[in-house]
Amino acid sequence: MKVENPAGDIVELMTINLGPSHPATHGTLRAFCALDGETVSAAACEMGYLHRGFEKMVEQGTYSMVLPYTDRLNYCSAMLNNIGFCKAVETMFGIELPERCVRLRVIIGELSRVIDHLVCIGANLVDLGAMTNFWYFFNPRESVYKIWEKISGARLTNTWTRIGGLYRDAYDGFSDDIRAVVTKIEHAIAEVRALIEHNKIFLDRTKDVCVVSAEDAISWGWTGPCLRACGVDRDLRKDEPYYGYETYDFDTVIGTTGDTYDRVMVRMLEMIESISIIRQALDKLEDGPINSTDARVRLPNKQAVYHDMEALINQFKLIYEGVRPPPGEHYDATEAANGELGFFVVSDGGTNPYKVKVRPPCFTQYAAFGEMIEGSLVADALPTLASINIIAGELDR
Amino acid sequence: MSTDAMTQPIGDGLDADATLAALTERFSVERDPQDKWGLSVIVQADQLRELVGFLRYDERLCYDMLVDVTAVDYLAYPAWRGARYAVVYLFKSLVLNHRIKLKVFVEEGEEAIPSIHDIYKIANWTEREVWDQYGIVFDGHPNLKRILNHHEFVGHPLRKDYPVQKRQHLSINDPMLDELTARLRQLGFSIIDHEATTPSGQDPEGAA
Repeated sequence: MKVENPAGDIVELMTINLGPSHPATHGTLRAFCALDGETVSAAACEMGYLHRGFEKMVEQGTYSMVLPYTDRLNYCSAMLNNIGFCKAVETMFGIELPERCVRLRVIIGELSRVIDHLVCIGANLVDLGAMTNFWYFFNPRESVYKIWEKISGARLTNTWTRIGGLYRDAYDGFSDDIRAVVTKIEHAIAEVRALIEHNKIFLDRTKDVCVVSAEDAISWGWTGPCLRACGVDRDLRKDEPYYGYETYDFDTVIGTTGDTYDRVMVRMLEMIESISIIRQALDKLEDGPINSTDARVRLPNKQAVYHDMEALINQFKLIYEGVRPPPGEHYDATEAANGELGFFVVSDGGTNPYKVKVRPPCFTQYAAFGEMIEGSLVADALPTLASINIIAGELDR
Repeated sequence: MSTDAMTQPIGDGLDADATLAALTERFSVERDPQDKWGLSVIVQADQLRELVGFLRYDERLCYDMLVDVTAVDYLAYPAWRGARYAVVYLFKSLVLNHRIKLKVFVEEGEEAIPSIHDIYKIANWTEREVWDQYGIVFDGHPNLKRILNHHEFVGHPLRKDYPVQKRQHLSINDPMLDELTARLRQLGFSIIDHEATTPSGQDPEGAA
């Protein structure tokens, strides 16, 4: 394409697709770019390659049937999505969860955040040619998946929470497993930091690359680690605390310039904070019930079902119809690994959700991607894409 | 880069009644009874842009982030008497730490409301999604095309009368050249020749 650039020169631009099917895009994402030599002059982004109609599908089933679909949003931290959806519905019911349930959700949620960051950073560094870190991170991640298998029976798509509780209580030796694995992760983080923090290639490739100002990030609706990398100290766990996050001692990690380096390092240090939260939660984890006793959402005690007419009806209604949140519209958000994961739930008082809208955190980040890479090198565009951690499952729904 | 660096501390936020009072001074709004868990306000479409600007810049409100835009189709809602659609805007303030929902009712057959893409950057894409899924037009939007569904797709799948089982044959991918050239013009380039370029290193005339 022949164009006259803003400086008045006639130049020949080459148009090229980055993605949608290319390993470097970490998913089915397409950025259609006009290149002036190695520099991206303009980019237009397309999404939707993994669109499977999440919001239409969930209207067809009951509230409990939504949970397996939420696993497939951000599949690198599936249980955080389970928690987000359950929390939205539980708030509509006004259910108080037992303490053990909340502690377990915090532990599993934070560990999910850690493994999500492990994937993001590990893959990001591979884009810069640093393969070793990937293995340092994926080995402890594999150990976490062993724990996921033990606790939920599945590795990737766990469907571990239930509305008003959990699928199962933690197994014997759960605390020891978690303590061992977080120590392993800490070791891996130390090793990777030693490899990259003074590495000239890493610094040259990430410092001041694709900088986003705090003002732009807010206008783009960024949340989570990417917003914090721009120097904005906002985290839902601090600002709108839920699950007793205000009782844990942890810091939010923020960056200064909003470049790729900050986005990587914010995630890196956030893992250390999450590990600290996990240890505090394990210290306070006590035996007790894991499910709410609220008859609107949880099955009654089996002995009661055999001997009591009301309990039998309750069991029958919950199995055959499912839960019925009070009619109304509610938006509820949690701090997921990528930022604010929101569920806007509309209930008509029936057994199926009237509407569920997911607010995926990476949607806002991908919306900004085109503008971010304009003016930078093609080689820098791909690590930038990795650093904003776009998960197509969540982006396209 | 440090873990203890702070930007400004977060504010206390304005409670629902005070927010509603601030809005009713200037606009004809009412509280939405559907939302029992937070503050939701029903707005008239012709006041939307002015009200959003007020939310964004009034120092008592400071709603600096548009969290999401979506819509609800009330076609199948039990005993519903109002307009068929509602467009829902979710805002939050990072400075003051409060949230608000705006709701604009849209009648069937008049599916158009003003766009707010110039007030929040993210509105460009979120409004495209609402158009794609519900068929509500945002007047003044610079690039109102489908975003989740394929560009050949017919209909708006999240409308309650769109059949779940319906299948469509979609074959040709979106060339996207229109979006790219529009973006180049926006950045100050003027297009001389649209022809698809040759791969670098090959001279179209010189090659024998």
